[in-house]
Amino acid sequence: MTGAAATERGGRERILAAAVERIARDGIDEVRIARIAMDAGVSPSLVHYHFDTRDALLEEALEYSYELAGDIRLGPEGDVDEFGSVRRLAAMIDQFLPYPGMLERDWILYVELWLRAIRHPEMRPTAARLYTRMHEWFAEAIRTGIARGEFPAQADSDAVANRILALADGFGVRALFGELEVSQARQEIWNAVKAELDLPAQPPPPLDPAKPQP
Amino acid sequence: MSPRPRLDHVRRPELLTAAAAVIRQRGLENARVVDVADEAGTSAPSVLHYFASKAELLKEALTSAEERFYEELEIELAGMEGPRERMLKIVQYGAGEGDYDAVLWMELWARALRDPELAATRAELDGRWRRSIADVVRYGQERGEFGPADPDEFAVLLASLLDGLAVQIALRDMEVTPDRVRELAVKLAERELGCELVEGTRC
Repeated sequence: MTGAAATERGGRERILAAAVERIARDGIDEVRIARIAMDAGVSPSLVHYHFDTRDALLEEALEYSYELAGDIRLGPEGDVDEFGSVRRLAAMIDQFLPYPGMLERDWILYVELWLRAIRHPEMRPTAARLYTRMHEWFAEAIRTGIARGEFPAQADSDAVANRILALADGFGVRALFGELEVSQARQEIWNAVKAELDLPAQPPPPLDPAKPQP
Repeated sequence: MSPRPRLDHVRRPELLTAAAAVIRQRGLENARVVDVADEAGTSAPSVLHYFASKAELLKEALTSAEERFYEELEIELAGMEGPRERMLKIVQYGAGEGDYDAVLWMELWARALRDPELAATRAELDGRWRRSIADVVRYGQERGEFGPADPDEFAVLLASLLDGLAVQIALRDMEVTPDRVRELAVKLAERELGCELVEGTRC
């Protein structure tokens, strides 16, 4: 690869990353191309060189952020052999809650993703793929827990995964509005699955000590 | 001098309904005053006679669509005798039935993240949704049909579940259908309320 090609690739990636940040900060309707160029440290003409229209840039930025959202939300959940299924499940739920800082910003972006997919039917397969990935992530962890004898054999992994995802969205968005604490949301989700998975009354502490303790 | 726009029979409520329909079809970002006028069978100047700006019109349209949803729900609930029947109606409404879909709700919630005025409206409407649920729980407990769950805690739990599932229905996640939502929500409610909700079964 020549130096010029490397720079070009870097430019495109930087523009997309800057666009994602701007969407999270300003909302998709308010984003300005000039601002994205400034954030990315490139000229507006380079933005136009890579992306024909504002819409093309925003669509691609959102696709890119779906991937990012998937990567951020789906791990690292901790090694099941080291932590066991119960602790790992709590860590996975934590990935889905709007803790202040990084995850909060991701959450705001995530709400923009919902909106974009609602407004643009052609984006729905991308959104549905993300949900399928997230669903499988939880369902697989529950099946692993059953196989390891840590969750009851009769637990319905798909129903539990559905419930966790829906509650994480419903409680997460309310926590984002400051209606309840993230730790409360965490406990509520835990309560809603603990009977079926035979979990202890309190979820174990977060794996990441930077996160506030419940 | 341009003629004063002729004001026909179309009034604010009709315009709000038309604006909601346009937002549903075109999305908030692409909704134009002329679309709302076409939908309502009137002219753009007539629309702007009632609303100072497009922003005001769209904001009010989002709010009034939600309000109508709650009004309809409250009327339906009041017409039902049994608490279990009422709880099933709540679940049915939350699963996307009734004259409503998640599009307007999501536009409102997403915009409320950045607009303090809409954030207050959103909080008020969400409070109303949760009160409707909590009232049914209290009603069922008074009549000895529901177990001793905390009505307000249950309300936020069920509302969160239904909202989260509504997102998945709206994104056309094939695994999550309105039937599946009902099943998941009924199961959660039955467990929390210690009572079977589905017709023909006992408490």
